[in-house]
Amino acid sequence: MEHQIIGNPDRGNVSFTLAAGESVVVEAGSMSFMTAGMEVKPRLIGGLLTAVKRKLLGGESLFLSEYSTATAGAIAIAPAFPGTVLCKELRGAGDALLLAAGSFLACGPGVSLATEYGGGRSWFSGTGPFILRATGSGPVFFNTYGAVVERDVKGSLTVDTGHLVAWEPTLDYRIRGMGSIKKTLFSGEGLVMAFTGSGRIFLQTRQLGGFVRWLSPFCHG
Amino acid sequence: MHIDLSGGGLFSRALVHLEPGERFVSDAGAMIRASSNIDIDVTTGSRGKGGILGGIGRLLTGDTFFLSTYEVTDGRPGEVGLAPTHMGEVREVNVSPDEAWLCAGGSFLGAASTLTLDTRFQGLRGLLGGESLSLLRVSGSGTLLVSALGMLTGMNVDGELIVDTGHVVAFTEGLGYKIDKVGGGWINTWLSGEGFVMRFSGKGRIILQSHNPTRFGQMLGPLLPERQA
Repeated sequence: MEHQIIGNPDRGNVSFTLAAGESVVVEAGSMSFMTAGMEVKPRLIGGLLTAVKRKLLGGESLFLSEYSTATAGAIAIAPAFPGTVLCKELRGAGDALLLAAGSFLACGPGVSLATEYGGGRSWFSGTGPFILRATGSGPVFFNTYGAVVERDVKGSLTVDTGHLVAWEPTLDYRIRGMGSIKKTLFSGEGLVMAFTGSGRIFLQTRQLGGFVRWLSPFCHG
Repeated sequence: MHIDLSGGGLFSRALVHLEPGERFVSDAGAMIRASSNIDIDVTTGSRGKGGILGGIGRLLTGDTFFLSTYEVTDGRPGEVGLAPTHMGEVREVNVSPDEAWLCAGGSFLGAASTLTLDTRFQGLRGLLGGESLSLLRVSGSGTLLVSALGMLTGMNVDGELIVDTGHVVAFTEGLGYKIDKVGGGWINTWLSGEGFVMRFSGKGRIILQSHNPTRFGQMLGPLLPERQA
């Protein structure tokens, strides 16, 4: 499977070239165009019950779509909203990436996906209560709203909730205020995430929820 | 007439340079600026063609009822700046008399007045495809401007190409299409979240947009507060 990411930073999308017998797993509804002769199969992540919970609580779709071809073919996919598309290559045992709800776009067939409950802290993180853990080997594609900030954390990093897209599990975080009650309430940041450890983290420069809250007063005419 | 495209990325725009005697037609509301020697005429069809029916036909394509026609008034060159409503690229398409183009879902931005604009009713195909009931047909000789949500990709089709209905911008009339399922059975199609796709066949050119307005809307919709009566 070969891939090409085009259109970054603001209109990122991906095209895949598949050889005979190859397949790619994509977010449901993300296919924009493809060659004839592709087969599509729905794929659940982590069993029906987990998928239903995820759908109800996280708003993510129940299924992913696996596109395969018996001959050879190409397929192009895009996220629902404009932004950047990123790819991280997982290299087998021990390698993993955690993804915020809604930022998963696609992965190779050698990547396993599992949903996990992010714990009590995740209700404040803006990632949704369920996060996605990608393990195995192969590429994982994910997307941001707005541009991306990519950092190698060594030690600690403070991140505003809602901007987290993906991070390596060697990083851990806790939710805290911005210091005093006054700062927490009036800084506009509210709660933040204090990351510690060492590993890579991907943040988005905009929040779709924030954009819509800004836009909605203008929608009423 | 020549056109400069600038801005790039999601916020592309076009600057149309007009010589005396030349006319350019755009969707009503697409103009950002014009030089002071430009006269703007608003009609339901280019050069008075089309009439009310032309305007109604265009509404079914997802375009505007009215069109604006620009021309210079003082015998000197002039310019008109145009931009689409949504975020995306703008592209110039050279239409030749031997092959007409069909524009889908409001992707028409403007055209030289030497081109003829009419509509092609799509019937059940249009309804099932989730696209508009009609397509805008552009024929003759001259420059056409199309816009997109996101990125524009032009492709030569020789054989078959499957396109999700929200991604079609324009295609040459020689290409046929039918509404089809995405692949495999109907249950798989429904679970894949793609719904119907357009299966293009034949030989021709097609222009696609990277992002799907319907999906973007479905993403934003639930985040909006309820409308107050």
